[in-house]
Parts: sequence; C-alpha cells; structure tokens
Amino acid sequence: MSTTGELILDTESTVGESDQSASLACPSCDLVFDVSDLADGETARCSRCGHFLTRYRADELSRVMAYTVSALILLALACSFPFMEFKASGLESMTTLPQTALQLWRNGMPDLAFLVAAFIILIPAAVLILNVILVGALMTQRPYAFLPQLGRLIFTLQNWSMVEVFFIGVLVSLVKIAGMATVVLDISFWAYAAFSIVFALAVSSLDRFQCWRRIEGLSRS
Amino acid sequence: MSRPATAAERGLASCHLCLKLASKDLHQCPRCGSALHLRKSASLQRTLALLITAVVLYLPANILPIMVTDQLGNSTESTILGGVVLLIQLDSIPIAVVIFIASVMVPLGKMLVMFYLCWSVSHGPPVSQRQRTVLYRITEFIGKWSMLDVFVVAILVALVNLGGLLVIRPGGAALAFAGVVMVTMVAAESFDPRLMWDQMEKSDE
Repeated sequence: MSTTGELILDTESTVGESDQSASLACPSCDLVFDVSDLADGETARCSRCGHFLTRYRADELSRVMAYTVSALILLALACSFPFMEFKASGLESMTTLPQTALQLWRNGMPDLAFLVAAFIILIPAAVLILNVILVGALMTQRPYAFLPQLGRLIFTLQNWSMVEVFFIGVLVSLVKIAGMATVVLDISFWAYAAFSIVFALAVSSLDRFQCWRRIEGLSRS
Repeated sequence: MSRPATAAERGLASCHLCLKLASKDLHQCPRCGSALHLRKSASLQRTLALLITAVVLYLPANILPIMVTDQLGNSTESTILGGVVLLIQLDSIPIAVVIFIASVMVPLGKMLVMFYLCWSVSHGPPVSQRQRTVLYRITEFIGKWSMLDVFVVAILVALVNLGGLLVIRPGGAALAFAGVVMVTMVAAESFDPRLMWDQMEKSDE
C-alpha cells in the first residue's frame, strides 16, 4: 500500500492525554493516526479516505522562510513597475498591478475593486508578512504569546488568496485582446508570474499540523 | 474489519484550524483558540442556506452584462455566455473552453455537487464514502477558479483604455459573479465531510 516517500498509515494509535500532540484526526473522515515517527520528507495519508494528513520536513522552516522572502520581493517588484501596455492605431494605454483594482473603483465599482485588490495583492501580502513573523519566531525559538493568533490568521487568510487564478486570468485576457492590438508585457508581468509560483510553494511548504506542533512545543518550553 | 477509532468515538474533537485533538467538552481549542466542535456546527443548514444564496446571485450574474465595450461611440454589452459565444465566433476555441469551464461549468457543477452531498448525507444511502469525499475535495479545490472571469474583466478594464477609440468598462454581473464564487467557497467550507463517514459508522452498528 505504500509508495516511495509516502506512508499510508493503518496502525492503531494509542492516544493518551500526554502524547496527543503526535496524533491527528483525518479532517475528511475523523480517523485518528499517530504521526510521530515520520521520516524526513515523508507524507502521511489517511488509510480510509486517502486525504493528505501531514508531511514532515526537517528543514521546513528555512524552506518556508526562503520562499516567503523571495515571494515578498517579487510582489514588491510586481507592484512597482508597469504590468502591460496596449497599443492600437497610434494610441496606447498602460496598466500596473494595483491599477487592475483601482480602475474598477474609477468605473464606479469600489466594492469589486476592493475584492480584487484583496485577492491578488493584500491577502497574499498579509499572509507573507505574517509568515515571516511566525516562522522567524519559530526559527529563533521566541515563544511570543501572540503566536497562536498569528497562526490562526495565516491559515484563515491562506484560503482566500487567488494569486494563481489571477495569473491564468492575465493569460486569458492576453489571448482575448491579442488580435485587437499590440500587447507588450512589462517587468511586472514577469515578476508576478514568478511570484505566483513562489507564493504557491511558500503556502504549500508550511504544513499545518507540523507548524502547530512547533508553536505548541515552543510555548511549552 | 478492524480499523483505527475515530476521534469522535474517543470523545475527542479535532480543531478545524490547527488539527489539535482535545476533549469534546471544551468549547475552545486549547492550542489556537478557535471554536471547537465535534462536527462543524449546523453544517447542513449553513451549507444549504449559502447554496440557495449562491443560486439567487447566479441569476443576475448571468443576466446582467459582465463588461461593456465602447468602440468609436458604440456600446456593446456582453454577458458571460455571450462572451463565450463571441469567442467561438472569433475562432478562439481554447479560450472559449477555458472561460466556459471556469465560469459556467465549475460554478454550476459546484452548486449541484454540494446540493447532492447535502442530500446524500441527510437522505441518501450510506455508500461510496470515499468517492463522495473525493468529490467534495475536488469541489472545494476548484471553487476559487471561477473567479477567473472576474479577473479577466478587471485586467481588460485596466488595460484597454484608449479614450474615444476603445474603452472597456465593468458590468454589474462581475460583482454578482464574485459574490457567487465567494458564497460557494464559504458553503464548501461549511460542509463537514465527516458526516458521510458517520453515516457508515451508524449503519455498521
């Protein structure tokens, strides 16, 4: 049943009050598994429904930190340079990333402008900045009292970032208007392309279960 | 068949946010402070209420124009489906397929699947839990991809702005459609897939 680097658990765990932090219940079907002895790089899946449970990586924190900092730099780049230019019949218009939201505001849709800005810039930026604080505190072993609140905020906000969807949206709009005029891709476009990949890596590298175990371990010590 | 016990059978509740296992008598997760429940509270009622909201919002999202093109003094309004038809006429079949899947099939399919899952938990036979769980996970995963069309409108509005020659403006459907996507995302989050497995455990006894 097990493949390389992946462990399908089906041993009954004995959960005492003391070692509950090494067990988790499958979020899909509620079976309890003991995941205390995962090797480096190993993934645990539920034996009954196949749901992903957790992945243990010894270098998780430095990985997340590296992706997070790179993503922040790329996002800053993507916000400060022109995104695309559009030229037809001697006229041209240019857009930046923040303008995709701002322009909706100017067209009388401030609510939609706010949502778009939140999904593609504000929420991803907030997740990254909070990540730096949380992972930084875990790496340097500082048991700040606000770490649980920070973790809650990160894992709640994560669901609402739509970076990758927006990027596919950019590609679709490119094809839609490519026939009408000349479209020039600028620095921001490439920065956002790279950002969408690195951001996805940053989010997926921070394992929920392992992260919370670390927070708990830190506040106990 | 012997299997590991579920958390509920051991009197433990699993925190939806940090996965902590704690006594079901606690109302707050001792680790992260989130509200702690054995199963998501009023899962079916909430999911159904949100689904109905999504269906209601889906009407203006398809009837109102999603964007307005002003070209040399002429205004053309296009709806979501109209945009797909236009793309087919322009021979951009791949893009038409992407938009059709993201803005028509995914939201509709998602609502139908969620309705089916709610029905299957309350009235359906306790079978094929694993398939239904996979169905639920897929629905949950693809939810946000419907926002694609809204983003395309946002980009076109920002980019195509050539004064009197060619201007693209957003239409009311964009907001309604963003609403559909967000409401169905929350609906998927409110649904508790463990209810399907509880059905099986109940029928085993």
